[in-house]
Amino acid sequence: MISTKVILTGSFGVGKTSLFNQFLFNKFSERYLTTIGVNVKKKIIKVEEEELSILLWDIAGEISQDKVPNSYFLGASGIIYVFDVTRPLTYKNLTSDIDYLKSKIPGVKVKVVGNKKDLITPQQLLELEEELSQPADIYSSAKTGENVEALFEILGRAILGKEA
Amino acid sequence: MKMENHSSSSQEALMLNHLKSILLKQDRQEIDSIKKTLYTKEGLEKEVSPLIEERIEYLKTNFSKEFGIHVDNVIEHKLEASKEQLLNVIYPVLGQMIRKFVSFQFQLLKDRIDQQVSSVFSTKGLIGQIKSKILGIRSSDLVLRDIDKPIIEEIYVIQRDSGLLVGSYSRQETMDKDMIAGMLTAIKSFAQDAFHVEKQELELINYGNFKILVQNFFSYYIAVAISGSLSSQEQDHLAVILLEFAEKDMKGVSLHLITSELTEEVSSKLEHHFKKDIFA
Ligand SMILES: Nc1nc2c(ncn2[C@@H]2O[C@H](COP(=O)(O)OP(=O)(O)O)[C@@H](O)[C@H]2O)c(=O)[nH]1
Ligand SMILES: [Mg+2]
Repeated sequence: MISTKVILTGSFGVGKTSLFNQFLFNKFSERYLTTIGVNVKKKIIKVEEEELSILLWDIAGEISQDKVPNSYFLGASGIIYVFDVTRPLTYKNLTSDIDYLKSKIPGVKVKVVGNKKDLITPQQLLELEEELSQPADIYSSAKTGENVEALFEILGRAILGKEA
Repeated sequence: MKMENHSSSSQEALMLNHLKSILLKQDRQEIDSIKKTLYTKEGLEKEVSPLIEERIEYLKTNFSKEFGIHVDNVIEHKLEASKEQLLNVIYPVLGQMIRKFVSFQFQLLKDRIDQQVSSVFSTKGLIGQIKSKILGIRSSDLVLRDIDKPIIEEIYVIQRDSGLLVGSYSRQETMDKDMIAGMLTAIKSFAQDAFHVEKQELELINYGNFKILVQNFFSYYIAVAISGSLSSQEQDHLAVILLEFAEKDMKGVSLHLITSELTEEVSSKLEHHFKKDIFA
């Protein structure tokens, strides 16, 4: 089994923490350590018989993304870039943000997630896809749980070099 | 005689009255002028301001001498009180590990107060004194001193950037060690970023009966959680042993990929070194 650090990033309110909370509930990290600025949870996933231990980092509370300490990004193998399908502002810099992240952490695997899928119709989703400067890897809903598992699986695959 | 007495005493009385009115007039004038000073803002300001200014000037340089100990006491009491509350609520739920994290929290809190104090009283010497007092007061002096000898409760080897656990040894099973390692790293580096603390080779976080000694290496760090009291000689001794461990046992270890095999290997080396009582 390999251990790996994965971080959540994206604009405020897109649902990073909600996705994070879809990870195993853990009082320990959830209730008392948010003031520190970051939360860490673990999830072990299985990709083709190989286990991957994901240590997922989420920025807690009010810290705005541009104030995130550098150390947050250091040593990450995977990045989950989350945007909100109902708010264009959260995906308008998609390509430049991702280029920036990739330059900051060479070799990092990035997955782009359009979250809050439950709030739009399939037709609206198609229109959104037209609008994006680059395609999203997956659309999820942290509310219903739809595609949350799948998100971690495609990221896990990428990290293990087992992309389909 | 009687008459004479009478007439002279009535004269005296007259004189006295006259004198009184003169005196009282002077008094009244004085009272009026005092009133003017006291009851008008301008008058009072003129008289008192220089005194206050002088006092402020004096306090700017002598604050710590006059009040340092009170500030210390207040801060220390507040910390103690809230620590107690915090621990009472969370301790039963979260067990041993949280105590160690609480110690970090309070370290951060202390640092924050420290910063506040220094922004309020921006006199260099004062800051230095308060700082040394706040940081220098050992909780063991306030809390009942524990005469226990030091025991290594837990030891972690953690990859520096990612916070991934490379190996660990614990006397008792605790919570998920991977997460603890991640948190510890996050706290450590966030604190560094937030308070612009220099990266140090050796860090010691001291709180109550718990100490976490952190020894930084290039691509990893070792965190040791110790209960009981740790003298500076024992601390040195531990540092030496950690350096030896790093030199001998971590030498050929590649941290490129953190696999469970690697974790097992490092963990068994840790156990081998630290199961025995190194302070014996
Ligand atoms: N309907 C819906 N609401 C969501 C979803 N994910 C998050 N939210 C809501 O969006 C708000 C912000 O979520 P949060 O996870 O705090 O965003 P963060 O700032 O990126 O961590 C909260 O009110 C969530 O309940 C989702 O998939 N669907
Ligand atoms: Mg959040």
